[in-house]
Amino acid sequence: MSLIELPSTREEEWRWADPEAIAAAASLPWSDATENAADWWIDLPGARIVVRDGVVDQAASTLDRVTLRSIEAGDHALGQRATGPGWSLHLDTDAAAHPVQIVHISTGGANHLPSEIVLADDAVAQVVETYVGAGWANRYLRVTLGATARLMRSVRLLQAGGFTSLREDAALGTGASLVTIFLGAGQAGTRIDATIVAGAGAFADYGGALLTAGDQRQECAVAVRHAEPHGSSQQVWRAVAADRSTASLAARVEVARDAQKTDGVQSLRGLLLKRTATVNLKPELEIFADDVKCAHGATVGELDARALFYMQSRGIPHARAQALLTTAFVADALDRIGDNTVRAAFSADAETWLDGAL
Amino acid sequence: MLKIENLHAEIDGKEILKGLSLTVNAGEIHAIMGPNGAGKSTLGYVLGGRPGYEVTAGSITFNGQDLLELEPHQRAAAGVFLGFQYPVEIPGVSNVQFLREALNAQRATREEKPLSGAEFLKLAREEARKLDMDAEMLKRPVNVGFSGGEKKRNEMVQMGIVNPRFAILDETDSGLDIDALRIVGDGINRIMRAPDKAVLLITHYQRLLDYVQPDVVHVLADGRIVRSGGADLAHELEREGYAQVTA
Ligand SMILES: Nc1ncnc2c1ncn2[C@@H]1O[C@H](COP(=O)(O)OP(=O)(O)O)[C@@H](O)[C@H]1O
Ligand SMILES: [Mg+2]
Repeated sequence: MSLIELPSTREEEWRWADPEAIAAAASLPWSDATENAADWWIDLPGARIVVRDGVVDQAASTLDRVTLRSIEAGDHALGQRATGPGWSLHLDTDAAAHPVQIVHISTGGANHLPSEIVLADDAVAQVVETYVGAGWANRYLRVTLGATARLMRSVRLLQAGGFTSLREDAALGTGASLVTIFLGAGQAGTRIDATIVAGAGAFADYGGALLTAGDQRQECAVAVRHAEPHGSSQQVWRAVAADRSTASLAARVEVARDAQKTDGVQSLRGLLLKRTATVNLKPELEIFADDVKCAHGATVGELDARALFYMQSRGIPHARAQALLTTAFVADALDRIGDNTVRAAFSADAETWLDGAL
Repeated sequence: MLKIENLHAEIDGKEILKGLSLTVNAGEIHAIMGPNGAGKSTLGYVLGGRPGYEVTAGSITFNGQDLLELEPHQRAAAGVFLGFQYPVEIPGVSNVQFLREALNAQRATREEKPLSGAEFLKLAREEARKLDMDAEMLKRPVNVGFSGGEKKRNEMVQMGIVNPRFAILDETDSGLDIDALRIVGDGINRIMRAPDKAVLLITHYQRLLDYVQPDVVHVLADGRIVRSGGADLAHELEREGYAQVTA
């Protein structure tokens, strides 16, 4: 099988990308041992959608307000492969839907699925997605938020193998709010690509935690573009890398000439659990307006040896002390999930990962 | 309770403790005084098992057990408490979580059943109250944003909660004003003054010893105990200085 064609790794956006891993995932044999969606539902009311190898399993799903239709995925190198039948959540003005949960189960090979979330003015929605199984799961999502609409998304990448690639385009209307938090705590390769365009006074919180182990590679390449004044954004990403793994975080804030009074916070931090692991950080600010506030920080380090000994001297075993410190590190990102039940589920997944990695 | 014999220890290949011997019996409080750089904190860290502090000769026996064979957390479970000269800040981990984990980990190592959240909170609030620490501080991340004095008081709250058999308190008096010094001194007496417990009180100044009467005072200089005596020795040191006494 030929390699998945991606732009050259000489191109900035793709410098840490891993096309071989995608090709390898796409050629994983289909397996009969399939994940059970019932194991992955979080205790929330609302829609429960099961996606099997890129196809919505209508018999196994409660669609609620989600509909199925054909979606055009745009021209992104990976995202464009997901053009075709997909799922769609449309909410009218002022509507508030129950949460939508989607469990994506891959059993091997490659699967592609586009989706869209369109919230009219003042509408409110929450979407929780979980990726499990193995193979190459490739997704495209277009988010369109009307004035002061609010969308909270939480995405956990828990595939036991293969690759998950997500391409997202979001457009935020005046005063709209988009919060998207990722947790990468599986064993698959990961590529998260996103472009968020924020309108006047809009708020975008886009970040998460990527936890890598073994020879795994996970990466994100995200840009928030403030096109109009008074917008604000947060990009809080945490990477934890064990063994020989690599986590790469590339996050950009762009402030257009007219986007005065923009307030952008960018915090990229990496934690190396082993000296053989790698964390790449690439924070970028591209500011064309003069009256803006953009704070950014990027650091990579190891667990604080003094704190570890302090905890041990109080009776906490070494591995548990490492887990507590790492959990605290990751919490900076996961605490941004507003729903307590969802946050608890994600934290538990992070803990499970830590138990395996430490 | 504690018997240290001919202890040699080094950091980064540099010998800091050079043949230190010391015996502390149950029911006793020993003070260790000495000039800066003498090796007082090093002794505390070696007793606690801090990585990088390598014991090259000698032995440490704690209640008949070879202390050097135990991991740091096992030493804690065996009843050893190290009060830090510079307590460490741990962002993102609350005092309550930290101490409950610590106490229950010690109990698990000793094969005792864990305290529930409610039982633990009651105990923690009680100790905080006794040491005049605002119970709200229990919810805050460990030592983050605490003043020097608050950190030291927090060490004593921790000691009260884990209730050790043997405490090494490294300059717990530094950074305390006179009121706090009295509260901390009372705390040490309340928690540790018992026939089956003992304390090694590392201090640079005599003033804590006005509140916690030592049974024995040692002078540590250049990695060894160079003099030992009764409570009077502390006053002599205060009057005449280390140079005079250790000469
Ligand atoms: N991490 C370290 N690396 C090298 N030398 C150290 C280190 N920590 C302490 N020392 C040295 O060990 C000696 C004793 O230090 P310490 O035990 O802190 O003394 P005290 O507590 O009596 O003031 C000093 O000379 C100090 O410079
Ligand atoms: Mg010292």
